[in-house]
Amino acid sequence: MATKYGAYAGKVLLINLSDQSYREYPLNDRDRKTFIGGKILAARIINDFISGPIDPLGKENILVITTGPLSNTNAPSSSRFNISTISPLTGILTSSNCGGNFGIRLKKAGYDGLIITGKSDKLVYVEIIENDIQFKDAEILRGKLTGETQEILGGKSGKLVIGPAGENLVRYACAVSEERAAGRGGIGAVFGSKKLKAIVADGKVTQPIYNADKFNELRKSWTLHLRDHPLTGEQLPKLGTAALLASMQQKRILATRNFSAGQFEGYKSISGEEMAEKYLVKNKGCFSCPIQCGRVVKLGDKQVKGPEVEALGLLGANILNDNLEHIIKWNYELDELGMDAISTAGTIAFSMELNEKGLWKSGLEFGKTDNISERIKEIAFRSTPEGDAMANGSRYLMQQYGGEEFCIQAKGMELAAYEPRSAVGQGLGYAVSNRGGCHLNAGYEVVMEGLGLQINQYTPKGKAQIAILLQNLMEAASAFGNCLFTTYAFFPGFLFRKPNSLITRTVNKVLPYLGPILGIINKRPGLAQINITPMLQHPACTMYATGIRMNMGEMMKLGARGFNLERMINARLGIDTKDDKLPKRLTDVLQDENNPQSKVPLEYLKRKYYKGRGWDSQGMVKEKTLKYYGLTNLDLIDSRKLEEQTEIKIIPPKPKKEKPKAEKKA
Amino acid sequence: MIKIEFFGLYRLNYKMSSWETEAADVNNLLKKLSEYNSFYSYKQLKDSIILVNGKNIMDLNRFRTRLKEGDNVLIMSPASGG
Repeated sequence: MATKYGAYAGKVLLINLSDQSYREYPLNDRDRKTFIGGKILAARIINDFISGPIDPLGKENILVITTGPLSNTNAPSSSRFNISTISPLTGILTSSNCGGNFGIRLKKAGYDGLIITGKSDKLVYVEIIENDIQFKDAEILRGKLTGETQEILGGKSGKLVIGPAGENLVRYACAVSEERAAGRGGIGAVFGSKKLKAIVADGKVTQPIYNADKFNELRKSWTLHLRDHPLTGEQLPKLGTAALLASMQQKRILATRNFSAGQFEGYKSISGEEMAEKYLVKNKGCFSCPIQCGRVVKLGDKQVKGPEVEALGLLGANILNDNLEHIIKWNYELDELGMDAISTAGTIAFSMELNEKGLWKSGLEFGKTDNISERIKEIAFRSTPEGDAMANGSRYLMQQYGGEEFCIQAKGMELAAYEPRSAVGQGLGYAVSNRGGCHLNAGYEVVMEGLGLQINQYTPKGKAQIAILLQNLMEAASAFGNCLFTTYAFFPGFLFRKPNSLITRTVNKVLPYLGPILGIINKRPGLAQINITPMLQHPACTMYATGIRMNMGEMMKLGARGFNLERMINARLGIDTKDDKLPKRLTDVLQDENNPQSKVPLEYLKRKYYKGRGWDSQGMVKEKTLKYYGLTNLDLIDSRKLEEQTEIKIIPPKPKKEKPKAEKKA
Repeated sequence: MIKIEFFGLYRLNYKMSSWETEAADVNNLLKKLSEYNSFYSYKQLKDSIILVNGKNIMDLNRFRTRLKEGDNVLIMSPASGG
């Protein structure tokens, strides 16, 4: 369906692998205006298809790949795309915001998104070159690693592929574009279940910008702001996310020994600084990104992607390994096999503790590293009983062998490397996140609880409202097509440049007490009809790109709409307050015996959070909340009716009228 | 001697992971460091995150925090993004 809005391709392609058919999915401009793109538009589409619990690896599951309106523009850090599906790891909605070149190329092919339904009889890959859509035999790619698969597919087209782990239905397998992964929730296994090895996209379709002059002006100032900010302009470009490790150690947030502690004696040898000094070859980032957070590091005679802080923490401190070279190697192997590093590492740590406690002879021990590489392969290929069991994730192991109180997962998804007993707001986020134990969907409140700002990391005061604000912010940034790291520049650079100043100390002290004020903003985000540039340039940039009215209030409202819609879908899949929980180790056991606050006061935080979100005591979204966000009476498109359609309708792209300067540079 | 360890941008820019000196308090230590290596001025160093034996000096006696033989001082830049 063509669109009146700028920056959109105006088409979403619906592919049915069962009969190798395709057609345009009927989204209209009201959907674009209301749900914008990325994970929020994807949730809107999933809402059309999924009305109750399903087998995530069955034919009825769908994959929704969406870009944002800023994808394929030169807006900073906007090469992102999103994949949403029902997760085989958690059984609920999962979404993954991914870098790499696939999103841009999909937009160049003329599509804002793809919906993959059905299941192929044989291993295939789908090639989308504008209106030419082909289903190709992928037998030659069977069992190939993610790098090798992309190499064989060749050319400069956008590629999204899975490795052996996806083919073997490892429940936390990922999909990979270039060396970036849509990591969490087992998206790769859903590809594998549909016998879809890869998607290739390319074309020369451009999307006109609604107001190119204003857009370019703002794009440039946004880029400058990101380059000037201490986090996005200095720390992330120079040290990557790995620089966090030392800060996490100092704040007792570094998950250690399967989250039984927040500090690791050997942290220095696995730190980002160590990696920069001994292994770094160069920085690498996504297209149009001034941050360039990616690392290329040495591994023997190879140059490979460097591990991020999650891998450093979880494959280091959390399994008591202080050998950085091992982490680099395992991280590379995981990417090539197509497996999420966070869930793999979490499952390994849990298996180590099960073994230690005599609950399951996993053959893994804390601090013992000589069999990890082999076990990773056994998981990817499900080639041994232990590897096969671990391929189902921590929650499955817990159901089989026990250890609930130290099974470090939320809703079935393993937690990231931040130990929440010393960052209680982050702990709340893990518990209420829509995709399970994800640090980003949690709101990443840890950025204010010691990693960046220094608000009291143990007080529950104000934490629920801060979590809601940050979740909404990230949700919306993702929908626009931006990297979530751009949201860090929302915080004034001064606070990071002058951490000891009276102003910064006052902000740190006062922020937890601003809960009631934040509560008003969270409850009625639409009231903030302002744009605060240069701190938050996403809404204005999106407005000039699309012509859709957007400001800070509308952005926050969009984020809240997305979060509530996802919760609504999850509720239909059986999620309620009983699932918003953390393992007892994190809620009932003190991290530090001398600090009675060093555990997550989850029940208190949840009450505040539900109230702030407009949910009832059972964690259900209240009717009036749904109404405020326009989520009642969604015009559900019955997917069965779509199946009955026979017409294959692909509208050829309109001749281009205007080519903005930004496009020329691309 | 007091051991000073550098993290984040300080370690990259100083091109050293640690340094040892004698100093009566944090102020004194920062002055000595800026004289030893001029990459950061004393004023710039006052904008770093400083921990003495694991505690942020802002929770101690700030720049007047006394130092004694064997103390461990960490100088860090802010970090984020995960």
